[in-house]
Amino acid sequence: MLEALMKKKNQDGRFRYLYWIVIFIFAALICRLVYLQLFEGNYYHGLADGNRLRAIPIAAMRGVMYDRNGQILVGSRPSFMVTYVPTKKKLTDDELHTLAQILKVPEAKLKEKMEKGKNSFEPTVLAQDLTQDIVTQVEERHNDLPGISVDVQPIRYYPYNNMAAQVFGYVGQIDEEDLKRLEGQDGISSITQIGRAGLEAYYDDLLRGKDGGRQVEVDAAGTPVKEMERKNPVPGHNFHLTIDLNLQKATEAAMDQQIANGIGTHGIAAVAIDPNTGAVLAMASRPAYNPNWFTRGITEKEWAQINDNPNHPMENRVIAGEYPPGSTFKLITGTAALELKKVTADEMIFDSGRHWLVDMRNAGGEALGWLNFTEALAKSDNVYFYEMGRRVGIDKLAEYARMFGMGKKTGIALRGEASGLVASEEYKKKVFNQDWYLGDTFNSAIGQGFQLVTPLQAAMIVSEVANGGIQYKPFLVSRIDNLDGTPYKIFAPEQVGTLSVSKSTLDLVREGMRNVAEESGTAGSLFAGFPIQVAGKTGTAENYGGADHAWFVAYAPYEHPRIVIAVLTEQGGYGATASGPIAKTMLEEYFHVGAYADTKDSSKNGNASNKQQ
Amino acid sequence: MFKREWRNLDKVMLGVTILIVCCSLCIIGSATHINQGVINYDFVVKQGVAFVFNLLIVLFFSRYDYTKLKRFAKPLYGINLIVLLAVMFVGTSALGAQRWIQLGPITIQPSEFSKLIMIICTAALLSDRIGKLNTWRSLLPIALFVGIPFLLVLKQPDLGTSLVFLAIALGMLFISNIKMSLLRNAAIVGIILAPIGWHFLKDYQKSRILVFLDPNADPFGAGYHIIQSKIAIGSGELFGKGLFQGTQSQLNFLPENHTDFIFSVIGEELGFLGCLFILFLYFILIYRGLITAKECKDPFGMLLATGIVSMWAFQILVNVGMTCGIMPVTGIPLPFMSYGVSALTTNMMAMGILMSIYMRQQTMIF
Repeated sequence: MLEALMKKKNQDGRFRYLYWIVIFIFAALICRLVYLQLFEGNYYHGLADGNRLRAIPIAAMRGVMYDRNGQILVGSRPSFMVTYVPTKKKLTDDELHTLAQILKVPEAKLKEKMEKGKNSFEPTVLAQDLTQDIVTQVEERHNDLPGISVDVQPIRYYPYNNMAAQVFGYVGQIDEEDLKRLEGQDGISSITQIGRAGLEAYYDDLLRGKDGGRQVEVDAAGTPVKEMERKNPVPGHNFHLTIDLNLQKATEAAMDQQIANGIGTHGIAAVAIDPNTGAVLAMASRPAYNPNWFTRGITEKEWAQINDNPNHPMENRVIAGEYPPGSTFKLITGTAALELKKVTADEMIFDSGRHWLVDMRNAGGEALGWLNFTEALAKSDNVYFYEMGRRVGIDKLAEYARMFGMGKKTGIALRGEASGLVASEEYKKKVFNQDWYLGDTFNSAIGQGFQLVTPLQAAMIVSEVANGGIQYKPFLVSRIDNLDGTPYKIFAPEQVGTLSVSKSTLDLVREGMRNVAEESGTAGSLFAGFPIQVAGKTGTAENYGGADHAWFVAYAPYEHPRIVIAVLTEQGGYGATASGPIAKTMLEEYFHVGAYADTKDSSKNGNASNKQQ
Repeated sequence: MFKREWRNLDKVMLGVTILIVCCSLCIIGSATHINQGVINYDFVVKQGVAFVFNLLIVLFFSRYDYTKLKRFAKPLYGINLIVLLAVMFVGTSALGAQRWIQLGPITIQPSEFSKLIMIICTAALLSDRIGKLNTWRSLLPIALFVGIPFLLVLKQPDLGTSLVFLAIALGMLFISNIKMSLLRNAAIVGIILAPIGWHFLKDYQKSRILVFLDPNADPFGAGYHIIQSKIAIGSGELFGKGLFQGTQSQLNFLPENHTDFIFSVIGEELGFLGCLFILFLYFILIYRGLITAKECKDPFGMLLATGIVSMWAFQILVNVGMTCGIMPVTGIPLPFMSYGVSALTTNMMAMGILMSIYMRQQTMIF
């Protein structure tokens, strides 16, 4: 009995334990709930909203680019895209295979994209710019493809394909770096298109607009249940460019024609500028590429075509190509000589075929006899300008070159501009650690040796000569609009400098340039009978890697200049024959020159080929 | 005579149970979207009808002299083994496990009933051995007795139910005054053997345990349940989102939300206060069960009651713990709350037995 009682007592103890164990269980659960619901409740509430609320971005229309006459140069058009959002139900390998087949995208690539968006509730774009046919196929299988949906969004469209590709640039899908860079900015989403080059990149902030979005409630399968909120996208600013569409088209057609002619060139740069403002009327670089390729996702083949091209289609040669100015530099040498009173307009200098101090000759080995300033410039005589270089001296020559804007960027609103190079004693010393010789001065005086300019700089130099010494900053955008069409920003001509050169000097240089396009000049046969009086300068720049680069710079009309042109044909040989025709076509287009009678028999004169450079 | 029985009935326990089941019907309704237009009363109606029917079972069992159950222990044990074996051969499989037997229109989950049978049989076995469990040798027959059905259920595979078997046995052994050092040593051996047991787990069970340790390792796979359940409960905050208003359960982010994960719906829609209320009801249930067990002079009745209480307490701990991420996912339903006619019936029977024990206690006093 006592034993039984003891046992019972023992048991009561055990029950007390059990009771405490139960208390402990409940206490533990309640503690956990306090933590989850009271302390972390807010956090989990956010996660629950993240589950059910899906922000579906609505892409903003990028700003339209118009030419100076209101023609659309770059616009947008609707595009179908297929997006993916991870859901509980995963895509099976079979389904992935089907999808890859429909979209014609390699499975591995799809997988990679999906992997990236694995933990995101924002849609990942798998393929875009799809045909109606593909879209229908995807929609038909909507129920078998969890997380896959079709969306329509505006994408960038370049109606003229390759035209001015390096100027306009191209856009690409936003990437992680962009997201980091643009963090915190309004209107950025996973489908934002970012400008990657040219104006698209330079003015990306203004062109981009602000993506909007719809906030929808979705169920676990990702099917939208109801729309909660909508934020409309804000289109980007429209841009009015200084480009003249017709001139641009004619320029590029002429360049393509020259390449097709088989003169052995692969790279050409051409630019036209209004010397009274600095507005760029046309800017083109060959080879080019089609920016539309990037918009819809470039294929490997297309990328190889661009990337493996040794002539760099993406490079804008007008601003990034640096070439010896060749004889076009004689404009600067001549200006310096006249202005520093080292020579007068009438002083005659005898070209015996070689300079009397250093044995340096004309390129073709010819001797042109007695020459005054304008004759020397028109015929591009080397010996005359060697002598000018000697009289001016390298220091003053460099000073004048800098004054004209060589050796520094023009400041045009594009990325990747090169600054060129001004030959000087210090430069040679610094880079080559060599002394300066008279021969170096000679070379510098005719734009060889260390001298380098970009085609845009060459155009600006001519522009300064043409407009009487005003240095403008070249610009491509004349106006940026607000959404309602009112101006957001107007770009007025911006003067960045003035040549301290007398009018008489510039008049003489201009006269020499006019003579270039006249009967006796190096481009005489080219412009024979041309109804507009053109002032120009040919140049043939020695290129140690191959055939000479061909320059032609010009402005017109001679009396009241309205356009300046610079054309460089890489390895094109003679300036007048390789680059001249392009410039001529441009002038014809710009001045609406119709058919005209060729008053001179060019075959008889054959100026272009006889004369120096 | 009826009047006296009414007086002796544990009205608190009955009331609490009815309250829990009423809550359960609401939550099952919400979890199966009866509000979303599509007529889908199947689950609520089935569970409701089963409940009404089960109330009769409770009344029957509460009037039935539980001591007679001891006589049926051996045949019940035999039947249990046969049924569990039958599941392996004719069972319907779902979710990678064979747990159901189809009998005409009714699907029965024998492992649920098995729990109660194990309680009865183990109670019968231990009732003569109270205070005699001092050596490993004395534990051997009990280990065999529990071990066979344990392994059969584990093989289904139903790790959850087999763990419930262990919990029941442990609770009853504890009350049977088992020597504490034996329990302690068994625990140590268990911990040492755990890594070996790991190899016997199915892949999906392994991944459940792995994701329990780190749910974000596979957020759209094995970790999905835990993550979504925690989000559901946590996002309920203090007051909850309101019945039928839980986004996690209404938009199907939370799977199995009318069965194993029903507590997540409570947490989401009724909030912390709702959870507290439900846990309070469970606590009363367990507490009354413990009182019944403790006050019972008959060892068999005491062990029966202890087994039932252990079963419930363990299931509540593991189920609620699982939904809020402090226990691995093991497919253990929440008593009286999760949808499942077999489970409800089992628990109602257990309730009847508990009431019978309580009533006989009162009768003896008066």
